[in-house]
Amino acid sequence: MRLLRPIVTRLVVALAAFLVWALCVHLAGADLGRAGLGFLRGALGTQYGLSEVLVRTTPLLLAGLGVSVGFQAGFFNIGAEGQIYAGATAATACALALPGLPAPVLLPLGLLAGFAAGAAWALGPGWLKARLGLSEIINTIMLTYVAVNVVGLLVRTALKDPAYPLPVSPATPEGFTLPVLLEGSRLHAGFLVALAAAVGVQLLLRHTAAGFRLRAVGENPRACQVAGIAVGRTVLLAAGASGGLAGLAGAVEIAGVHHKLLEGISPGFGYTAIVVALLGRNRPAGIVLAAVGIAALQVGSSAMQRVAGVPSSIAWIVMGTLVALVLARPALERWRRPAGVEAAS
Amino acid sequence: MNAGLLDQLGDLATASVRMATPLALAGLGEAWSERSGLLNIGLEAVMLGGAFAAFLVAAATGSPWLGVGAGAAAGAVVALVHAFLAVTCRADQTVAGLALNFLASGVTSFAFLRLYGRGTDLPSCPVLAAVPVPGLSDIPFLGRVLFHQSALVYLACAALVVSWVVFSRTEWGTRLHAVGENPRGADSVGLSVARLRYLAAAVNGALGGVGGASLTVATLGFFQENITGGRGYIALVVVILGRRHPAGVFLAALMLGAADALQFRVQALGVAIPSQLFIMFPYVATIAVLLFTAGRSRPPAALGLPFDRRER
Repeated sequence: MRLLRPIVTRLVVALAAFLVWALCVHLAGADLGRAGLGFLRGALGTQYGLSEVLVRTTPLLLAGLGVSVGFQAGFFNIGAEGQIYAGATAATACALALPGLPAPVLLPLGLLAGFAAGAAWALGPGWLKARLGLSEIINTIMLTYVAVNVVGLLVRTALKDPAYPLPVSPATPEGFTLPVLLEGSRLHAGFLVALAAAVGVQLLLRHTAAGFRLRAVGENPRACQVAGIAVGRTVLLAAGASGGLAGLAGAVEIAGVHHKLLEGISPGFGYTAIVVALLGRNRPAGIVLAAVGIAALQVGSSAMQRVAGVPSSIAWIVMGTLVALVLARPALERWRRPAGVEAAS
Repeated sequence: MNAGLLDQLGDLATASVRMATPLALAGLGEAWSERSGLLNIGLEAVMLGGAFAAFLVAAATGSPWLGVGAGAAAGAVVALVHAFLAVTCRADQTVAGLALNFLASGVTSFAFLRLYGRGTDLPSCPVLAAVPVPGLSDIPFLGRVLFHQSALVYLACAALVVSWVVFSRTEWGTRLHAVGENPRGADSVGLSVARLRYLAAAVNGALGGVGGASLTVATLGFFQENITGGRGYIALVVVILGRRHPAGVFLAALMLGAADALQFRVQALGVAIPSQLFIMFPYVATIAVLLFTAGRSRPPAALGLPFDRRER
């Protein structure tokens, strides 16, 4: 019975999330079968749908890894959205400034610029936390609003395409393009970059001393202080890596999908990344699965909006419900177990 | 000083008080919650839920006051869900709050699109009229700024006084303080930590919900997706700045409300600078102001920590 309980509660969570989804579809006045079919066909039914899921997985995976690295060091980076904007801006600016460079140089350089800008955007709150004890939760979210507006400002001024009336930047040079992996789809090599990042994060956290310190500081900063670990420096490392991965997500979106900077370059990838990190339970393999799952949920929801008129914000309802239920699950497992049993086990 | 400039200043001060009201209400509520040891990052969800429920009810019934009531109820429901996750399930309070923010954003946007579609013109709701305080509203300058406002501004002042009295002069206030600082000690003298935290969450939700409602049924008269635009997070800053003291929270709300009002005012002047430069001003001001409090305020000892009375 004790072994069965975690499986049963997981099934209960999945079933409850499905019921919430079905209820929303019903409330939207759509036919459940038609909407469900539209959802599945849109996300998984065709090669194009599948490739779109992986296109969306790419930024979610990168930013989700970033959020997770921060969480594990006790750095609650909920401003990945802003770091994505910072990374996209820096990558675009870098590519536009150096149009003559050959692709093998420009591509890594631009991606690196994105990583650096994202890291810088998170290092501010990281420094404020490490040195002054200010809440990174507040500062990362405030800087997100700043970043979004800075992008709005730049595409109207310094980075504006003069030949075009709308607020967008000029197209980035040929050299700053991630190759398409699958003929006839938008799936680009950024997906491989994201998978490599997952392996890199796994290696960093589990097989290096810095990774060990990072996780130790997340578990118990006071004990680390006593043991002589430089807590402040470790928090900075986590903040930099966390923001850097989110910034890389922004750069990859430019080089793989948009090829120019525009407002709304990320439809909330940075916020979704928090859900990805939480559902992936901070393990890279789990985060890959969560990113694919959430991407499928979002792509399917968009398809369902087209086919059955159900607003695609249903994806946020399902994600919020999932996280809330996952949080409540331990209590579900304790349920009806006498107090003494728990103490003894 | 010439009369024109004084007029301008008066307008700005009036707008500052108006923009400060949602922050003050939500901040005062969060002060209750944080004193009891519950850190509710889901304040954005509380305000968004309140703003949406108030809009729906006001638009349906034509009564902004019924809307305010609905906003309080919706906010309380959101905060009680947070309390259920944090107190009863002993989940991480920050993560629980984030989950609620996502959920509220999804639910309000889903319901709004379902009910009103994706039209170009925003549907509107009736708005609370300004209520001049007899006598006081005739005072030059100050009368207009302080005593010619919507009733929710006066409600925020009442919440300030009530919170202050409860925190410093009543048994209740002492008990809240006790469960926030030392839940085990409070438990051992027979206080119910869970019940007090639920109570604080309900007060937080009701005040935050009215704060959100003040956006839709007192200031703007319409609703749009994610209308709160991070004000829930700014209200959290207000609580830190005000060191969880009602008067401090109120003053901090006025300060950041002024930043918001200034932003709107400069935008309305129609200068040839993109509006994004001004829109980000309140957020930058929030970070700048937060810098000044560094290291000065000590949060309650048990803030953010779950409590299990069976552990020792």
